[in-house]
Amino acid sequence: MKELNFKSPTFFERLRGMLGVDFYRLFHTPMFYIFLAIAAVIPAMILGTMGMENPQTGTVAEPLYTNTWHIIAAETPLYVVNNIADYANMNMVFIFGGIMVSIFIGHDYKSGYVKQLFTTHAKKQDYMLSKTIIGAFSMACMCITYLLGAVGGGLFAGTAFEVNVGSLVIAVISKMIMSLGWASLYTFLNIIFRRYFGVSIVSCFFFGTGILIIGAAAVFGNNAILNIFLYGSSVYACLSSSVLTLIVCLICSAAWTAVYTVAGTRILSKCDVY
Amino acid sequence: MNAIEIKGLTKNFKEKQALCGLDMTVPVGAIYGFIGENGSGKSTTEKIICGLIHKSSGTVKLFSKDHTDPEIRSQMSALIEAPGCFPNMSVWNNMMLQAANLDISNAEQEVVKVLKLVRMEGAAGNKYKNCSLGMKQRVGIAMALLGNPKLLVLDEPINGLDADGMRIMREVLTDISKTGATVVISSHILGELEKIATHYGIIKGGKMLKEMTAAELEADCRTYTALQAKDMSRAKAILSCKYSHVEEDESGYIRVYDTVTPEEIVCYLYENGIIITEIGKAKIGLEEYYIDLMKGGK
Repeated sequence: MKELNFKSPTFFERLRGMLGVDFYRLFHTPMFYIFLAIAAVIPAMILGTMGMENPQTGTVAEPLYTNTWHIIAAETPLYVVNNIADYANMNMVFIFGGIMVSIFIGHDYKSGYVKQLFTTHAKKQDYMLSKTIIGAFSMACMCITYLLGAVGGGLFAGTAFEVNVGSLVIAVISKMIMSLGWASLYTFLNIIFRRYFGVSIVSCFFFGTGILIIGAAAVFGNNAILNIFLYGSSVYACLSSSVLTLIVCLICSAAWTAVYTVAGTRILSKCDVY
Repeated sequence: MNAIEIKGLTKNFKEKQALCGLDMTVPVGAIYGFIGENGSGKSTTEKIICGLIHKSSGTVKLFSKDHTDPEIRSQMSALIEAPGCFPNMSVWNNMMLQAANLDISNAEQEVVKVLKLVRMEGAAGNKYKNCSLGMKQRVGIAMALLGNPKLLVLDEPINGLDADGMRIMREVLTDISKTGATVVISSHILGELEKIATHYGIIKGGKMLKEMTAAELEADCRTYTALQAKDMSRAKAILSCKYSHVEEDESGYIRVYDTVTPEEIVCYLYENGIIITEIGKAKIGLEEYYIDLMKGGK
């Protein structure tokens, strides 16, 4: 009889395989392109339509933004939301990202793909990491299309473009870094509600809006302590960002990614797959 | 070495005990027919082997190592319920994704090889959702075969297939066994299983009722003389006077289980004025053996 040899795949071999599949799937998922388009259209639409004349009354609505970059982020960290203009910024892509991750993980369970996967891949952390990375990548892509949409909308509406370029770049990069933390949260939520697709999407939407932090800010005010949370750090990445902002976002995103990945891995390891 | 060695396996789902001290031994290279009624614990056992559900107690060893060992798990594969394909992708793309997932270096050649093995090379361009049930099952098996797994667990792979589909599947499974892989197949279609299995395990109520090789089954399956006569009731009564084990089966044949030749029976009945219209030697198959065993018979 032939001798049986078993070779254990390394962490990178395992993750490379899983990521390869997930990236292929992402680029072949129509919803990804739809969200990229939505992320571009929303700022363009807000900027492009504001200040338009109402044909019935002849009045012109007061513009929400006088500066194009305000649709990317506020001038200073505003955890307390007073009007819709304070809320409508690049952080919206994190809501779309949540839906993307839900669709992805929902498909994995619905198709029976996880059964195949977990039969050959014993390490559940690989799955958590792969989904987190793919979710973060899709949200980072949405950040870019959001930025392009904002520039297009600003040019069309003729709003101002004055900004500290360095701070703007740091703000956008920081928000892209925050994508990782958000993606890990969504992956975690989808693991908890893996048998209830609808609940997964709703929970991602709920947390993605940052309503809990906005609520906390309403009570405690614009307090820097809120930066320890994902939404707080995402808001902290504003148009007055500095290197400190980048560091805070990096630490916050990495820390929450670690927490959610460990927690998600634990749940996956303890629970049965049906 | 055994590919699977299970001892005292239990699994509780809240109040329900799905497995109660199951023992199971599957030798390396075997095609193990795993048989049992619905709800007897077949799928639960298979899912535990695959690491999809957790055992309550007992030991599960694959190739002498714990079944959760990543080294072992990377060398096994399964088709449990759905094949895990993405419906809007082609068969080829689904296969390539699985190859990428397993980090197979020469993916294209491997995919072509397994698609040929399952007779699906001509349908590789079809969208998965447009495939027939039989084709989907074969794609599932092809996916499970990628990376030359040493252990393959197939849950009801021939269910819902038409006669041609079953024939192809039988050929495929026979070809797989030639690669040296150990295969565990659960199925209700015992006639088909009998044609390919080298070992059997019969499970009832979460316990292994019997494990045996195909040769042991062959030896265990009793031969009998089946006959039909013009006057069946009289023939049965007369035969019962001389032979100890005579019964009428569901298809209207009288069966004589005693060691006797058909010629002897013909002569005996002729002497008693009974005309035989049909007679021959037969053997009970796996299906009957299984039913007998389930009823508590020998």
